[in-house]
Amino acid sequence: MEHQILSLSATRVRQIGRVNWRGLWTLYMKEVRRFLNVFTQTLLAPMVTTLLFLAIFTLALGGGGREVGGVAFATFLAPGLIMMAMVQNAFANTSSSIVIAKVQGNIVDVLMPPLSAGELTLGIAAGGVTRGVMVGLAVGLGMWIFVPVTVHNPLFIVYHAVMASLMLSLLGMIGGIWSEKFDHIAAVTNFVITPFSFLSGTFYSIERLPDAWQVVAHFNPFFYMIDGFRYGFIGHADGSLVLGLAVMALFNLFLFAVTYRMFATGYRLKP
Amino acid sequence: MSGRRAPGAVPSAQPLLAFRRWRPAGFGPVNWRGLWAIYYGYGVRRFLRFGLETLAGPLVSSLLFLLVFVVGQRDLGEMLPGVGLTEFIAPGIVLYAVAYTAFQNSAAMIVMDKMEGVIADVQMAPVSPLEIVSGFVLSAASCGLASGTLVAVGTAALVEYSRFDASLIFGFSVATALLFALMGTIAGLWAERWDHYGAVEGFVIVPLGLLSGTFFSVARLPEGFREWIYFNPVFYAVDGFRAGFIGQAETSPALGAALLIALNLALAVVAWRLFAAGYKIRP
Repeated sequence: MEHQILSLSATRVRQIGRVNWRGLWTLYMKEVRRFLNVFTQTLLAPMVTTLLFLAIFTLALGGGGREVGGVAFATFLAPGLIMMAMVQNAFANTSSSIVIAKVQGNIVDVLMPPLSAGELTLGIAAGGVTRGVMVGLAVGLGMWIFVPVTVHNPLFIVYHAVMASLMLSLLGMIGGIWSEKFDHIAAVTNFVITPFSFLSGTFYSIERLPDAWQVVAHFNPFFYMIDGFRYGFIGHADGSLVLGLAVMALFNLFLFAVTYRMFATGYRLKP
Repeated sequence: MSGRRAPGAVPSAQPLLAFRRWRPAGFGPVNWRGLWAIYYGYGVRRFLRFGLETLAGPLVSSLLFLLVFVVGQRDLGEMLPGVGLTEFIAPGIVLYAVAYTAFQNSAAMIVMDKMEGVIADVQMAPVSPLEIVSGFVLSAASCGLASGTLVAVGTAALVEYSRFDASLIFGFSVATALLFALMGTIAGLWAERWDHYGAVEGFVIVPLGLLSGTFFSVARLPEGFREWIYFNPVFYAVDGFRAGFIGQAETSPALGAALLIALNLALAVVAWRLFAAGYKIRP
């Protein structure tokens, strides 16, 4: 008897190595299950809305066999719309996850476990990337039925899909951590994310813009991800491809560092 | 104790508690104060409290939508004879803001109160189901019209409207606001969780709004789809409303008005009966 009690008290603490893989996986799966649980809202609804966008823009603007960037208007539009759906959903996933957890007070359940700031950032961001890429696949498959989709360079497609989802996931986390109420994050969505994604060349080639605005467009990181992603499909780009690859990588590194610091210092997370 | 008593008669026992005094004052046929409380205090004030989100959000997204057409798509010709693309689209975008805000207000309000259990506070008050439904619907419709007015003023910066027919514009925007407020009320009663609300929004409201002929004339539709648009009530709403700005319509505005009035009446009866029956709001 005595022996058994002692052996209980001598249970060893689980050793965590350099990286808490199990914790990271658990956090990631929590994020993925969160959106899969309501997949009609998180996967199907964006798919329907994006297909409707494709329909109305093609009907309104694609009349008379108009061509943009050397391809039919619908073929030009499709990659931009896929990208828009991906980034909006990646952003929505991480930002809503953090804001809801903060408002309801259960953010402690994420902050208490033995997860480092880097693991938190990576786990939550990976959840957002997963949603973004899944929405992109769903929308892409839906569009494939209606629009001839050609693939020019799959590497560009994959790189920009992942990098753009990651960028918006990180932005969503930063926005979510900064927000104290739902109003705040709604304001970020309405006044930052939506304008950037609408005015980034999704719906038109930026060659059509006045000169001054073309310069401005080149400072919009959203422009590079849509441009590079579209290049992967149609083989035509408005801007420099190498610059696009570099901008996406550097911007993501910068955002990762910011998010990491927010978790490490507990900015608006810990009392 | 006034009045004369017969000599020697025992004074009749006064009731222990004067229940009659406590009965609510006669409301008359309509409890105006209760109706106003639901309309303003319960609906409109809540909408205004989130002013940034509820008014500025639709404004920004509507203007961005329009900007995409104005900036990127010049020289695309005319959508209807003598009507350019942006003049054609702008009224529809305004009406979409009206419709979407009206729907969102009534539906989200009811779902939120059901989730938090405070809808009982409205049901307990001495207001009839008809008064509750009227308060909800009128407040959501007013919010939709407020949002639409703001968007209309915003679009005027980008588009030159050639005319302004007040009766068409006013009539069709009010009918649309009521229609979507009623749909929102019914959807809000039906929804048990937020994702039900999201499903109605994503699979009913957005398709109805986007495929309503806001962005294209019927002639632009492929052959097989032209008949289908006549089954979308929002098509008539957009068409009549737009006629107030551009002076021409694709169908008869009178027919559209009659259809919208009939549909509104039918939905109002449904919403009223659902509330009266306590559909999904009474245990």
